[in-house]
Amino acid sequence: MADRDPYWESFINRPPADPNNLITHALKQVRPGGVNPVRTEVHSPNVMSRHVKELAQFYGADQVGIVSLASGQFGVVCVLQADYDTRTATGIGGQTPAMKGLFAIYTLGSYIRELGYNAVHSETDRERLAAAAGLGSVDAAGRLVTRKFGARCHVADVLLTDLPLAADGRA
Amino acid sequence: MTLAPERPRYDPAVDAEFPPPNLGRSVHVIGPVVNVHPDETPHPKVRRGEMGKVLFDYGRNTISPDPLARTNSTRCRDKGNVFTDVLRRAPAGRINPTKTEVPDPAAMSRHIKNVGRYLGADIVGIGRSHPALLYAGGTLRDTGFVVEGEAGPSESPAELCRKYPYVIVTPVAWDYELAQAHRHHIGDAAYDTTLMQTVLVLTALEFYIRELGYTALRGKVNPQAAALAGGVGELGRNGLIITEKFGARIHLSDAILTDLPLEPNQPIDLGVDDFCKVCRKCAETCPTNSISFDANKQVFNGVEKYKIKWETCYKLRPLVTEHWQICLTCSTVCPYTKPNVWWRTLAVETLRNTPHLLRPAVVKSLKWLDDRVWGKVANKRVRWLGYDSGVRPGVKACTVAGCTAQHDAGGHPVDVPMADIGYYAPLKENVNRFVKR
Repeated sequence: MADRDPYWESFINRPPADPNNLITHALKQVRPGGVNPVRTEVHSPNVMSRHVKELAQFYGADQVGIVSLASGQFGVVCVLQADYDTRTATGIGGQTPAMKGLFAIYTLGSYIRELGYNAVHSETDRERLAAAAGLGSVDAAGRLVTRKFGARCHVADVLLTDLPLAADGRA
Repeated sequence: MTLAPERPRYDPAVDAEFPPPNLGRSVHVIGPVVNVHPDETPHPKVRRGEMGKVLFDYGRNTISPDPLARTNSTRCRDKGNVFTDVLRRAPAGRINPTKTEVPDPAAMSRHIKNVGRYLGADIVGIGRSHPALLYAGGTLRDTGFVVEGEAGPSESPAELCRKYPYVIVTPVAWDYELAQAHRHHIGDAAYDTTLMQTVLVLTALEFYIRELGYTALRGKVNPQAAALAGGVGELGRNGLIITEKFGARIHLSDAILTDLPLEPNQPIDLGVDDFCKVCRKCAETCPTNSISFDANKQVFNGVEKYKIKWETCYKLRPLVTEHWQICLTCSTVCPYTKPNVWWRTLAVETLRNTPHLLRPAVVKSLKWLDDRVWGKVANKRVRWLGYDSGVRPGVKACTVAGCTAQHDAGGHPVDVPMADIGYYAPLKENVNRFVKR
């Protein structure tokens, strides 16, 4: 793309002059909505985890895994294909997988909160939890390497929830 | 139509600076156009209660029984859970003081199209702005219900067009298979999600244009008019923009008005004008008879086009809100709304390359083929995420094969007719005997 498009390089790599022009940065300053006090009757954990995965893919995630945490909660991890490394490509274009991942996490979190269960997203230990959910393994540089995308992937924030799910792995 | 007299207007006979806009064959500006204020558009009218108490309640305080509808639309338990609302509350950045030089607008146009597609848009249209396409003032916000900021008298539509000569639209198409379950939560989910995605793409593009050092204004332009000017599609009988690859299943949501130097597209010709003259599939299946059967277009507010009766269309929503939200029948039955595959391209290309005089014959044969192959109404059964469009709404049915979970009595579909059609066969209400077809 970069050879035909003279502006592509700066779209991918140039960090924005005002960080609020980066949607991922702007979105994280907004407090998400509350939990529905009326719980909806949910299906068995097996079926609900299938639904949650299918829904996350519908909202834009490429691979989804569920990990059970020591706290008794479950973590939903979404992995998206990334043409450019989201850690080094700090431009609006380079952060696009992060934007799409945040969209999937926000809407999936809304779904779970509207069902009447807690759902908060957290940035910590994303790669390790993704590996624990069986999506790939962590390399020496701390990046997730998956079978499908290699290291060219972005791990979105982990959605921590108390919705009963069937976990793919244990952290 | 009664509009406030102080609304700005565009008169092709008076405003020599702006010749009538080229919007393709489906829409023509032929007389004076009074600019519509966002306050006079459907959602704010409903929100203010001008359309009656039922719609007021629907717009303000309806909570859907379906969790997915609560997630994707404003009929949620907590408005903070709606993604468009989250995005609206996010802080917006400032315009970058260092402007990116644009020596070649064509290269920048190509770049903006690449960027739009990379951010997730299915089509990116760039058009030339025109006073007739703009709202009278104020800003229509993404949630559709809120109008903010009455612009001062210096910011008339003509003034805005001089300052910001280009409009950008970035529609996202909803899923074809899921939309077959229109008048169902499945179709709603497909439709509502593309609204959030389009708004996300538009906001990201708006922020990027600011980063380039230029102004990007949202909520100032009628998105359908912008899509016509930007060569995204043509306006059909159903009042929807019909595009080349996706038919009527795109979500426009809004347009960006900008001063970034660009090279606008030309309006396109898909033969929609010829097709809609003959077809009337949407008008026949509309459950509220909101779509005109008239062979000729109507002139409304100086614009010649097919005019739908949005009031009756909107009034269906609170009646069905327990089961579904958006009807989408006119979009789903449209012969242009098909999977994006080779035979579809062949049909559109055939029609496009036929001389105008011979088109009615081609249209009639294509319409016949469409009725034979796809049926008069969509009747495909869709199963998705535990939903099943073959199950009547309101019937509590566990549709998961091999489900062993304990549900309340009546949990499993015991007495539900599992015929191979959805429940959305033509509604009785549609049989209007007073309409000549």
